[in-house]
Amino acid sequence: MSRDEIEDLLYQGYQGRRLEEGVRRSGFLQWPEHAVGIDTRSIVIARAMKHAVDGRGDLCCPGPMSPGPALAFGATPLEFLRQLAHRGTSPAAARAGGMSWTDLRRGLIGWDGASGMMTQVLAGAALAFAQRGENRAALVFESERALDTGGWHEGVNFAAARRVPVIVVLVASGSAGVGRVRQIEEVARAYGITAVSIDQDSHAGIFATLRAARRRAAVGGGPTLVALEGATDDRWRSHEEFASWALTEGHVTAGELESIRQAAAAGVDHAFARIVKEPGPEPHDALAAVRIGSPPLRPWTRLKSPRPDGVAEAPMEGPSVN
Amino acid sequence: MSTDVPVHVTRTRSGKPATFLEAIAEALWEEMERDERVFLMGEDIGAYGGAFKVTRGFIERFGASRVIDTPISEGGFTGAAAGAAHMGLRPVVEMQFMDFISPAYDVLTNYVATSLYRGAGPLPLVVRGPVGGGNRGGPFHSQNVEMAFFHTPGLKIVYPSTPADAKGLLKSAIRDDDPVIFEEHKGLYRAPHCRELLPQQDHVVPIGKARTALEGEDLTIVTYGLMVHRSLEAAAELARDGIRVEVIDLRTLLPLDEKAIVASVRKTGKLLIVHEDTRTGGIAGEIAMRINERAFEWLDGPILRVTAIDSPVPFSGELEDFFLPSVADVVTAGRYLSRY
Repeated sequence: MSRDEIEDLLYQGYQGRRLEEGVRRSGFLQWPEHAVGIDTRSIVIARAMKHAVDGRGDLCCPGPMSPGPALAFGATPLEFLRQLAHRGTSPAAARAGGMSWTDLRRGLIGWDGASGMMTQVLAGAALAFAQRGENRAALVFESERALDTGGWHEGVNFAAARRVPVIVVLVASGSAGVGRVRQIEEVARAYGITAVSIDQDSHAGIFATLRAARRRAAVGGGPTLVALEGATDDRWRSHEEFASWALTEGHVTAGELESIRQAAAAGVDHAFARIVKEPGPEPHDALAAVRIGSPPLRPWTRLKSPRPDGVAEAPMEGPSVN
Repeated sequence: MSTDVPVHVTRTRSGKPATFLEAIAEALWEEMERDERVFLMGEDIGAYGGAFKVTRGFIERFGASRVIDTPISEGGFTGAAAGAAHMGLRPVVEMQFMDFISPAYDVLTNYVATSLYRGAGPLPLVVRGPVGGGNRGGPFHSQNVEMAFFHTPGLKIVYPSTPADAKGLLKSAIRDDDPVIFEEHKGLYRAPHCRELLPQQDHVVPIGKARTALEGEDLTIVTYGLMVHRSLEAAAELARDGIRVEVIDLRTLLPLDEKAIVASVRKTGKLLIVHEDTRTGGIAGEIAMRINERAFEWLDGPILRVTAIDSPVPFSGELEDFFLPSVADVVTAGRYLSRY
């Protein structure tokens, strides 16, 4: 890892921690009990991918309640908070909630669907990379419970059959199904693909392992399954360990570490201050972007002079009923 | 890759009439030649050419990367198609039989249909395949699936009745930025009476526009797919009674061409809806409600429907014939309605 990468990881880890603490204190936002993927190891995994802001980098689905990797792909605390607070300014315009959203230019794809479904979708995205001969790969975070779904296996089977460049991270969920993640080597063997376990690795080790997996995927080596345990046990412990390591190894000084922490905190605090003043969405936004060119009708009972047939107010096409 | 062009995609180029199936194959072929982003996915569509041979010869011309034989996992490969569409490709997914689309219901309704709305961008994706009964295929190879998806905002549903419309609408569907469910009645695939000369030029039919298959003054029949042909047969018989029937071929079910339906009903004052799909929850209910809202004062009789009965599609010929709406059913309903 380069010094820049180490500093970025420290910064994003502090951002994540401040975000979670702030949400829990806010009283009006909710952070799911089993939020995963905010720990530094998830960020390290995402950092090992190729990043771009022009839609030509790797693609990452941060997973359910898993904002850490999104930070690595350029998401900002303000975007998270707007999403959580369903502000009209949120990336999904308050039409969809959750902690992830899609911004293909930055390589972010929202985790929207049943457990396992996003593995199918990212396998298809990786298929596109392979078809075009691009040096790109897809990364998806799933809860280990995805292992129990047919959809996840269908996605992995497709990815394995086409040997597409996708990396699937299975995160121990801390809820029912715990321990399933330990079976991924058997699963990977069944599909004829690679599995790596990174539980005992240092952050530098994780970074190197994922970089290797990414390189292998991008040259036709096929998918890789990654097991990530302990992400919910004490998600900040790994960050503190990483900070200590960076300090001990001389990558940062104590003063630099503190200034990184303060900068991250200031950014998050500023984002909190902004969202409390921002309005919710306009109700009419509920009619937007359902289908291209044919938005739904407004409720006729809310027209100025309601008539059941709507004839007095407008011609028959939906869009012009105002 | 081979430069040979399969005969079944050259009917129009050769100036010969095409069947419904050949029209579908021509549309796919031409779109794949026109746009390298277009690719096909489905079970046995490559070396085998598909269950109905729509894609015979495609893999030799376009290669295995654009004619992808998938695992037998409709949900999985439809989800993968969604991912490819996110990345700018234009997947056309073949369901071997549309009955098998149900495993993909989750990804289509929860993910694909909501993509634009969630801010995840347009998802250009076509899911096409054979539907419909009359081939003694039984409950799992004969269904009409439109109403399973009709209730899902974000999707489009196309169901053509002629080779020209099949070709033109499929090309439109592939070029559309919205996800499209494209239903092909297998009873039309090789029907000799459907064979027709198709336009030589790039033939595109807009999605969302119904057509008047027959003009009349006394009674409107709104229908689609194979039932257009049954309704035209019935209209010919009713004409012998002096009943002039107007037949509206919906062509697209979602979005529904409400304007065309209402205009016809305002002209004739009577509406009969004919669909092969089963009765309860069929599209007839929605159309009747639209007419109730938009043309109630113009009605001179009750809105009637002729549909399949509420049953799984039977296997035996005797049972299936009883199950499916017939020309005689449409004639009976037309005569009944004409007496108002």
